[in-house]
Amino acid sequence: MTKFNRVILSAIALAFAAASAHAQAIMVDTTPHPGVIAIVGGKLLTVSHGTIENGVLLIENGKITAVGTAAAVKVPKGATIVDAKGMTVYPGLFDAETNLGLTEVASDQVNNDLVEPSDEIFPQMHVYDAFHAETEHIPIDRFNGITTAIVAPRGTDTMPGQDTLIQLAGHDRDQMILTRDISLAMNFGDGQKRGGGFGAAAGGPRFPTTRMGEISQLHQALIDAQEYMKARAAAANKPAETEPPASDSGRGRGAPSAKFDLKNEALIPYLKGEKPVVIGVEEGHDVEAIMELAQEFHLKIILSRVTHSQGVLDKIASYHVPVIIGPIYDLPEAGERYDAVYSLPAELAKRGVKVALASYENEFIRNLPYAAGYAVAYGLPYDEALKSITLNPAEMFGVADKYGSLDTGKVANVVIANGDPLDVRTDVKQVYIDGIAIPMVTRQTRLRDEYMPKQ
Amino acid sequence: MASPHMHLSLRRALRYLLALAACMLPLSVAAQTIPDLVIKDGTVMTASHGTIQHGAVWVHQGKIAAVGTIDEVIKAAPAYATVVSAAGKYVTPGIIDPHSHSALGTDVNEATSPVTPSMMMIDAFDNTDRALYFALAGGVTTELLLHGSANMIGGQNISIKNRFGRSRDEMLFAGAPRTIKFASGENPKRVYGSRNQLPSTRMGNFEVMRQSFEDAKVYMAIWDAYNAKVAKGDKEAVAPHRDLKLEALSDVLRGKLLVEIHCYRADEFLTEEAIAKQYGYKIRAFHHALEMYKVGGEIAKDGTGIATFADWWGFKDEAWDAIPWNAVMSMREGVKVSLKSDSNDFVRRLNQEAGKMVHYGGATEDEAIQMITLNAAWIMGVDDKVGSLDKGKDGDLVIWNTDPLTSYARAEKVYIDGDLYFDSSLPGYGVTHFTGVMHGGGFGGSDDEDTAEDYDGGAL
Repeated sequence: MTKFNRVILSAIALAFAAASAHAQAIMVDTTPHPGVIAIVGGKLLTVSHGTIENGVLLIENGKITAVGTAAAVKVPKGATIVDAKGMTVYPGLFDAETNLGLTEVASDQVNNDLVEPSDEIFPQMHVYDAFHAETEHIPIDRFNGITTAIVAPRGTDTMPGQDTLIQLAGHDRDQMILTRDISLAMNFGDGQKRGGGFGAAAGGPRFPTTRMGEISQLHQALIDAQEYMKARAAAANKPAETEPPASDSGRGRGAPSAKFDLKNEALIPYLKGEKPVVIGVEEGHDVEAIMELAQEFHLKIILSRVTHSQGVLDKIASYHVPVIIGPIYDLPEAGERYDAVYSLPAELAKRGVKVALASYENEFIRNLPYAAGYAVAYGLPYDEALKSITLNPAEMFGVADKYGSLDTGKVANVVIANGDPLDVRTDVKQVYIDGIAIPMVTRQTRLRDEYMPKQ
Repeated sequence: MASPHMHLSLRRALRYLLALAACMLPLSVAAQTIPDLVIKDGTVMTASHGTIQHGAVWVHQGKIAAVGTIDEVIKAAPAYATVVSAAGKYVTPGIIDPHSHSALGTDVNEATSPVTPSMMMIDAFDNTDRALYFALAGGVTTELLLHGSANMIGGQNISIKNRFGRSRDEMLFAGAPRTIKFASGENPKRVYGSRNQLPSTRMGNFEVMRQSFEDAKVYMAIWDAYNAKVAKGDKEAVAPHRDLKLEALSDVLRGKLLVEIHCYRADEFLTEEAIAKQYGYKIRAFHHALEMYKVGGEIAKDGTGIATFADWWGFKDEAWDAIPWNAVMSMREGVKVSLKSDSNDFVRRLNQEAGKMVHYGGATEDEAIQMITLNAAWIMGVDDKVGSLDKGKDGDLVIWNTDPLTSYARAEKVYIDGDLYFDSSLPGYGVTHFTGVMHGGGFGGSDDEDTAEDYDGGAL
């Protein structure tokens, strides 16, 4: 038995020990392992610097320590050799927006924590407070090579909370959560109205029921936070007794308050442009309206969705902001050609826009690579498609120093598959997260094996 | 007293005549105006007898006249045939979706009673729904448009050929057998249970079914007795009351309708089969059937097929044990397996769903293609007419830019009865027969996707 096999088997044993009998996913401790793993003989899709045939990739202490040809990279003595001959090796895939861990069975409202619907402006909501690390979805999604994801609140409110970056393995929540509050979720359009759509309130319509209402509410929230930020800064430079009397975020009650306030506090890093605001918007005219507001406050913007913005693609390119697109399976609207949405990634990439793809939900995350493949069918260059689910989202969220490509020094999130990562026929053989070989076992493989007819 | 019946019968007779007239139309159109078509030099995936490299297909008067190598087909076809080169491309039979609610607007479910077998889905069919266009652009040429799953015994479905741009009646699938939709499990019990009506449990679900067939047996006996009297020349025999609902159920018991059952759980497949045996009808297919991998061997013996999702899971409790190996595992147990969309989205790329079966379980290329063509045709009872590239079958063909079982495939040209209906190289929509305004914005196609939102939104 090779050392590699022993590592895997002990990891599996550990996983089964950790999993309770009761609907709990297989938890894997991803504490970095000091031994060297050498993945040899495979075709390396580095994403950052092309394809290396018959490559060697070394992993040590959870990091990639070497990437190159067999001739260039020496495999150290004692390394665990993983034969990847005939295989394709690529970085773990990055889903730029999901609801992972916020819902289990979509039809069961009782376990849904998709969004806090009691108010529209909730920047102080943190999805990590609801993130259910033991969800069965995580092992099933990583089984197809997804290792990294943004968890966002459902986009049915204008400012529903802040997003969290996770990795799809860990012995508990804290090992899975990589960056809390990595970005702010903002949405605009039809779907956020309180009079109808998803946001329909049980007690009948209430403000905002129009786009004017949505924008004015967002505008006010940003003004309030800006005033708050100034008041806090001023108060910090003065003795405590001179602090102005408390008021309700300054609204119509004299000078802005410097009293600590979770909602306004949450917006400060975004007003300072320190972190990205992900703006989910579908229609072209909505993109223009919300961008006007976002630019007024100098927000660091990632545009998202844009599924029905075919008429303003040049304008989107002129903003010089990255765009998460999708889902590209959104149905075209009246008057649109059948491929209007499929071809968006190609059309935006052609205009020099950095694009990422996302699943935007919880059920079909494992199909993310196939969406990228479909974008290729509709004109996106292959290399861009692979980037759109690896390096590009990592760059958008400021974590490209750790994720998104096979480069020395990055976290060893690596996938070995028997073919093209974007093709539906491809079988993922092994996933590494933090350099740990993840047992390729899920609730679904267990069911499969239990019912597989005995030969 | 006779007038309402007269009215209904008249309406039905008229509809029947219209449908009958429609059945003649496409053929005559094909015969008169559609020139002979030869598609040559493609990789021809026949679905019935493997793949022919550098193959060709000849369509004459709307029917496939020859399939084979280029030489064989060119020799057989007339010189005046329109020749389309498929060099470097792939050719398959038209894709068949045996489970769709497209083009039925918001009329998918008559959710006012758990037993509504006399609902005729043709009454809701909107042939200008753009969902049909999207499906066509995905290579889909035949669809079964079903009643929803609110009712244990739903309505009578319609089989269509996706001749998008033709009239409503020209889109009907001539000669397709009648089919009826049943449902079970969560949906009926939720819909009626939420109103504190029967059924609100699985016990209630099946009780409703058994009682319906008990009623139908009585009704059938009364009519059988009357018909026997008439056959004996009894001029005094009084015709019993005609009841559309019981008449439809009697037709189920008489085997005149293919029974298509929305059903997820393994235990419910077994119960459904037991009830079918008790009352003497056959189940053509379980739809969704996400737990078939647990009891495939048993269901295979009953000759029931499945129309299943490739990899949907976890969207409701009864989909919790779904695994993406279900289709291939069930197939290996002898079950006739087809994939289906149940969605205005997924119908556009059933070829990709089939491609996943190569990955999940190791289906061969032929098996994967059959799941979206020949086996789907069997589910609908039209496998003698469509679903494979064989002499005598309808000239329904798709030319793909590349292997349809990959992520990279696009339908480039779609032919129905040898007539070009979609060509992606054309400007605008790429459709050849449609003029006017497309409708849309109805049900969204799925009865089970985003279940809670759909139902809360009043879709039922």
